[in-house]
Amino acid sequence: MNQRYLLLLISVATLTAIGCAVQGRPFEKVPSYANQAVIYVYRPYSYAGSLLRPSVTCGEDTARIGPGGYHAFVVPTGKVLCKVETETADVVELNAEPHVYYIREEIGWGVLTGHPHLNPIDNDQAQSEIQSCCVQEP
Amino acid sequence: MRYSIALAALLASTCVIACGVQQPELPPPEAATPAHPLPFKGRLVDGDPSELPPAVALSLSHTSTVTFAYREELSHDEYHIPLIVSAFDPVTYVGAPLGDYGVTAFASLSIVEGDRVLGDYTAKAHVTKSYNLYSEPTHQEVEQAARVAVRDRIDKKLYHDAAHLADSIAPVGRPALIAPLEK
Repeated sequence: MNQRYLLLLISVATLTAIGCAVQGRPFEKVPSYANQAVIYVYRPYSYAGSLLRPSVTCGEDTARIGPGGYHAFVVPTGKVLCKVETETADVVELNAEPHVYYIREEIGWGVLTGHPHLNPIDNDQAQSEIQSCCVQEP
Repeated sequence: MRYSIALAALLASTCVIACGVQQPELPPPEAATPAHPLPFKGRLVDGDPSELPPAVALSLSHTSTVTFAYREELSHDEYHIPLIVSAFDPVTYVGAPLGDYGVTAFASLSIVEGDRVLGDYTAKAHVTKSYNLYSEPTHQEVEQAARVAVRDRIDKKLYHDAAHLADSIAPVGRPALIAPLEK
């Protein structure tokens, strides 16, 4: 009886852990045009808070990014706000030129819910991180 | 048996800590632009008169040569914490969010005079509302919030271009002097 109970618990825990990760295609660059900026928001896998998928909005586009996922926002150049919110909000303001930008999303501890953070990352660091960590959100 | 119970508690708490129930709240509504009429009138040829951005609704005229065509499209999304996790999470029972309902509203507005397109505007807005064990928003509430947000964005774009649009409208009896505005 005990062994069955243990097996069940382990199966449940395994399934839960697997269910947290994002499945998708590996990182690939999005073509950009003269008057558009591309903002990659990526979220390296972290078991903590992995069921939280808050909506990230950049300009007028919105995406839910799971752990180990990324989303490419193609936005018009100019002032662009990227925002994510749960109990608390975090906003990154970009004066976007027709370049590529990278923002890393992380989930910190909260009271009833995790607190999301958006951190702009240097291109060199971000490119290696996003290629190794993240797949495209379906 | 004691070990099993201890292990079960440990696993449950691990799940709770790791994938803890955490969901987004509704973003605070953006400060709506105070609605006022545009400096020209238009006739509605496509769209529901009761479902328009305020600036357009206040600028309707049955006799105008300028026409408005307004469309809205809604798409829905939702996210739910798996029950197997939330059921073990103590904060579920004190009202932590268990998921959310989202609506994306896409709106397009064309302003035409004769065969000239004076302006073509599009906007998109996404709104989410979370739910918990004790309360849940209706789909209608979320839809309405998204509609309000997208109409406000259309209004802002219209107010920004209002002077150019008014200038490009041909006075009666004389052709337009300014090239049509296209966005």
